[in-house]
Amino acid sequence: MNPEELLTLVTRVLDGAQGDEEVEAFATHAVQTSVDVFEGEVETLSSAETRGVGVRVIVAGRLGFASTADVSAAGVSYALAEARSNAAFGSPDTGNVLPSPLPVEPLPGIDVPGVEAVPANRKVELALELERLTRAADRRVTGVASATYGDARSVVAVASTTGMSAAYAGSDVYAYVSSLARDGEETQTGFGLTQGRSVDELDLAAAAGEGAERATRLLGARRAATGQVPVVFDPLVTAQFLGALSAAFSAEAVQKGRSLLADSMGQLVADEGLSIVDDGRLLEGPAAAPIDDEGVPTQRTDLVADGVLVAFLHNAKTAARQGDGARSTGNAARGGYRTAPGVSPSNLYFAGATRAVTEVLAAAGTGLYVQDATGVHSGVNPVSGEFSIGVTGLWIRNGELAEPVREITVSSLLLDMLRSVAALGDDRRFFPFGGATAGATMLVTGMTVAGS
Amino acid sequence: MLDESDARDVLAAALATGADWSEVYAERRDSTSIAIEDHRVERLSSGRDVGAGVRVVKGPQAAYAYTNVLTRDSLLSAARAAAAALAGAQVATVADLTEAAPPVHHAVRLSPGDADKAAKVALTRRVDETAWAQGGEVRQVTASYADVHQRIFLANSLGHLSDTTRTRVRLMAQVVAARDGLVQTGFEGPGATAGLELFEEIAPESIGEKAAQSALRLLDSDPSPAGEMTVVLNAGGGGVLFHEACGHGLEADAIAKDTTVYAGTRGQRIGSELFSGVDDATLANAWGSLGYDDEGTPAQRTVLFEGGVQAGVMSDRISAAKLSTASTGNARRQSYAHVPLPRMTNSLVLPGTSDPQAIIADVQHGLYAEGLGGGEVNPATGDFVFGVTEAYLIENGELTRRVRGANLIGNGPKTLALVDAVGRDFDLKQGMCGKGGQWVPVAFGTPTLRIARLTVGGTGA
Repeated sequence: MNPEELLTLVTRVLDGAQGDEEVEAFATHAVQTSVDVFEGEVETLSSAETRGVGVRVIVAGRLGFASTADVSAAGVSYALAEARSNAAFGSPDTGNVLPSPLPVEPLPGIDVPGVEAVPANRKVELALELERLTRAADRRVTGVASATYGDARSVVAVASTTGMSAAYAGSDVYAYVSSLARDGEETQTGFGLTQGRSVDELDLAAAAGEGAERATRLLGARRAATGQVPVVFDPLVTAQFLGALSAAFSAEAVQKGRSLLADSMGQLVADEGLSIVDDGRLLEGPAAAPIDDEGVPTQRTDLVADGVLVAFLHNAKTAARQGDGARSTGNAARGGYRTAPGVSPSNLYFAGATRAVTEVLAAAGTGLYVQDATGVHSGVNPVSGEFSIGVTGLWIRNGELAEPVREITVSSLLLDMLRSVAALGDDRRFFPFGGATAGATMLVTGMTVAGS
Repeated sequence: MLDESDARDVLAAALATGADWSEVYAERRDSTSIAIEDHRVERLSSGRDVGAGVRVVKGPQAAYAYTNVLTRDSLLSAARAAAAALAGAQVATVADLTEAAPPVHHAVRLSPGDADKAAKVALTRRVDETAWAQGGEVRQVTASYADVHQRIFLANSLGHLSDTTRTRVRLMAQVVAARDGLVQTGFEGPGATAGLELFEEIAPESIGEKAAQSALRLLDSDPSPAGEMTVVLNAGGGGVLFHEACGHGLEADAIAKDTTVYAGTRGQRIGSELFSGVDDATLANAWGSLGYDDEGTPAQRTVLFEGGVQAGVMSDRISAAKLSTASTGNARRQSYAHVPLPRMTNSLVLPGTSDPQAIIADVQHGLYAEGLGGGEVNPATGDFVFGVTEAYLIENGELTRRVRGANLIGNGPKTLALVDAVGRDFDLKQGMCGKGGQWVPVAFGTPTLRIARLTVGGTGA
């Protein structure tokens, strides 16, 4: 299905609108493939074509939602009737509004057509090649836990009785590997990733080398002593931290008293050299799109500028609730056609003056390099910002990576950590965590590191 | 949902390129979700999802194609797409399909499909109002309700045919409490494979009250100290740790690939002799219970540890074949859009004989964890980390200061060996477990457990 066809489908839903109700239909159509290989054989190949529509109905400020995978005339009218019946139970809310259309600047770079036409055996070969390259990258790599190739081409369309009518297509291609390195009884794992808009953009050798290096350099890891030392975080880990912090930038979380930044507007929340940006139009980011999930054009929003919190992210609902001329920042996001929109960042990243990674390590002198962290997802309290995570990594001696260390905990408060950022690396890179979050090597001073 | 002869034709088409067996899984899922926030009904959503997936399996290899268009042509084209992953000649044929009811049935008395929306909103309101009533320091309450009714049609070329239903309901409360800039949260969320009769047994008011009281208690807590100490996990609270630190490592796909620390440990004593654990999908009406699993194997109880000895693993058909055993009925999938994987259902540590009070009384210096939040584990090494939601310090055998923000950091097998007391009590908690991007409902149950020493991460002194 192309964007025009899907737009016809959602526009058809609006024909059933009654009286003075507002109706919006949002639909997706996706064609996806993924291939997992293990020891030179295909383990799983999955291919799919799915579509569905979600309908919002607003009657007298009350909202109802329903979704269906059945896009026939009967299926769509069921969803509209259910959404209407649900609206009767909703509480009236000034935030229950549908956005009005604004001019949309297309973003053709996000769609490289043709991924559906790549034959399945070529995709299998890419996954097998990634596995082979990872095994060959280092003799201490004794196995590959999984090597995966995946792609998706998605079409999104939204139309409403307020005149919204927009659609676009996008493509994503990725491959990742988890390598196993063994030395005696000890096993370490390493993650390697490559992603792009088309098969040609994948760099399998880089992902393989990364997976192998991350596993092998941890072999021989020992526990370290407890103390206060400078800590350098790997881009993968800083991306996870930014993901944990991301919910705090949502105006929805602020309005509901759930954001640790709720009372910090205009205040210094990070080191003066650090900024945080959300940019839905940044082509390098996997979440780039011309519109958000209710049709509002995406934009660049500076959230933290030189350490000062300057903005929150809005969808139409949070902007209307706030009033005072607040506008949607184009951050309405849904988990597919089955859910009504919430607020999420698009492409979120740290900005500010950057330095070469070698210089960041040199600035640390002696300290801890955190390669992998467990518990960022579960161990950070998103409301209070308290966290305590388990980490594996390398000791830094004389500004260079030295012996590996494990079973260490690092505890702090997210905002204390941001205020203590002393250097940002020039190796910004997006990861597909919680939308699309970019990490970069980051030096944080004076953290408490607990070992044996 | 599917016609038997259509299913037979789809299975046959899927076998054309040399698969050992083929399968068609079709699902219709009706769901309702309600959220009340800030005293307002923020969300009342209904969903109707339909779809089917066709899988072809040859040895350890599987190919899967799915669609949410349930026509004969669309299913046949999915069958051909899956078959295209293999390139051989046909070796198997479709056996006679015999419909059978699952051996375990989880009865539903008050089907949510028969209840009107007003009644569901009223249940959610009872959670919400009780949570707010716990005191002025309660700043935000999210009360939510969810029900799911699945109808699952499953047939495979080996002769299985079933057409079954699953019904689950859950009520949850998330409460934010604040005092002088300190913000804490509390959560309570019981659910079951059952109908609305669950909330006759568990009063919605108790859910709001527990979540709010938990958040309020945390306002009276200090940051947890860090270091190595004895850790006592309360009944139910230790379930997440068993699930994450042992359960995932005993899923047969990881065992077969030798990517888990438990590979090759069957028959070995790993845990303390006080430690016995099972995965039990047959537990009546529990949140993670099944009748058939998602490949049509009857639900069963699988012993994982008996007296500390590693006794079994959890498998689906493919991983069981790799280990030359039979499936233990642990194949689960999030929906028709996902391939089944070996997963836990209800993972339980079996009660022992100790008095829970006496377990605490014997500790000089330690942490009493009253609930664990999420956790993560590296299956290859067994290393884990868990957030502790609520805890007390144990000093000279008594619970003293309330502490928050603690993490437990350790290693699965090493921790099992250090279990030195098991209570005679037991409690069951509910959660959603993620693996390979798929989320399925699981329950975890434990008695009071004591671990002689574990690394506690925290920011206080």
